Amino acid sequence: MALLVGNLIIMAVDARDPDGRPKMLRIWTQSFASPLQNASSKASGATSGFFQQIWNFRSTAKENEQLKERLSQVENELHAARQAAGENDRLQALLNLKEQTDIKSIPARVIARDPSVWFNTITINRGTSSGVEVNMPVVTAGGIVGRVITVSPWASQVMLITDEKAGAGAVVGQLGQSGALGSVRGRADLGAALVEMRYVSGLEKVEVNDFVMTTGQDGIYPPGLNVGRVVDVKPGTTTQAHQILIQPGAQLDHLEEVAVLLYHPPPRSVPEQTPPQNADRTRR
Amino acid sequence: MSQIKIAVVLLVAILLQLSLRGVWQPLSYIDFPLVVVVYIALQRDAWQALLVGTLAGLIVDAASGGLIGAGGFSKTLTAYIIYFAATRVNLENPLLRIPVLAAGSVLDSAIYVFWHRVLGNPPTVPFVQTMSYKLIATTVVGTLALYMLDALVAERSAQRRQFATRRRVARRSTGPLRRR
Repeated sequence: MALLVGNLIIMAVDARDPDGRPKMLRIWTQSFASPLQNASSKASGATSGFFQQIWNFRSTAKENEQLKERLSQVENELHAARQAAGENDRLQALLNLKEQTDIKSIPARVIARDPSVWFNTITINRGTSSGVEVNMPVVTAGGIVGRVITVSPWASQVMLITDEKAGAGAVVGQLGQSGALGSVRGRADLGAALVEMRYVSGLEKVEVNDFVMTTGQDGIYPPGLNVGRVVDVKPGTTTQAHQILIQPGAQLDHLEEVAVLLYHPPPRSVPEQTPPQNADRTRR
Repeated sequence: MSQIKIAVVLLVAILLQLSLRGVWQPLSYIDFPLVVVVYIALQRDAWQALLVGTLAGLIVDAASGGLIGAGGFSKTLTAYIIYFAATRVNLENPLLRIPVLAAGSVLDSAIYVFWHRVLGNPPTVPFVQTMSYKLIATTVVGTLALYMLDALVAERSAQRRQFATRRRVARRSTGPLRRR
């Protein structure tokens, strides 16, 4: 009973939303979990490497022993070289992105994926010690990945844009030229491959393969970042919005390196006029 | 000694849970910590089952995007219900472990999602579909894992098997024909 009540209290504390401030409980647990996640990430890397090697050995089983050994060595070297080349390309792309956007960014490595099947978050190896804060956008060269939801000193948890609770202000086409503004968010039945774009006026022209960019209106993502491209459109009418499906530009299933944009959205201006109801009250 | 073995098995189960999604996404449907919890609950060791349930749930929660404590709660309650059933019904038969494992998986998923919905943080995946996949994966892999755990951990069941063999041998030697 005590254990159940204890769990219930922890849940209730964690469920509270402390007005956008980081949750202390999350920081502690994340700090505790990140070394485990680091270890498991390395272990899974080694395991897949091991199975890869077994596979490689199997394919050369008919060769004689000397050739097999030599071949496996060469294959391992080639595998390592390809991995290094791939990593180099991805980091180069992130570097190019950094130069393009003028926003300070830090590269990060994905150290874990959500261990439960119910949620779809990733954990990266950068935290408050690297300047990461809650709600900072996470991107790859392909497009936006998601936003930081929890930070600890050495790791952060990122909510992917395919999550139902994630959202991003976006526009179909070029920012400033197109009026097809809407909101991008995940949908449970679409899985991790697609996201939905809502509230795009049925009067706007939207076609398959059009590019979708961020507008910056959500207060999280800077404007002009790639979200993905339109893969399906059910045309709307004058009174109904288009139903648009988008394939994210970032390969969310195979994330290895990402960049955290150290971006702080410009503060929103406070309206000068008081709303009519409040104005009435002040008059009284 | 058995506590150390259980701690090691639990650590391995948690590490597998944390790492397998990175290797291949569908492997995350197997709930390794739950298999360990069910195994200990079936041994009719209440305290150990409850503690292992809480610990395993909390550690996985810490690395997950869900509410911290939800996994701890669901695994603790599942452990208690299985322990309660095991003390009243004989679940020693290996075949009976399959429905127990399946029921444990459904119960764990239902409690976990229930608390997330109550506290305003519902999971983002379809409930029935995900629960079904988890049920199948955990039951199939868990049944094999329970056999392995039996061989690795269970001192009691090994002793019980030895006693049963001895008893059978003793009965044969003192059977009705020999008595004459």
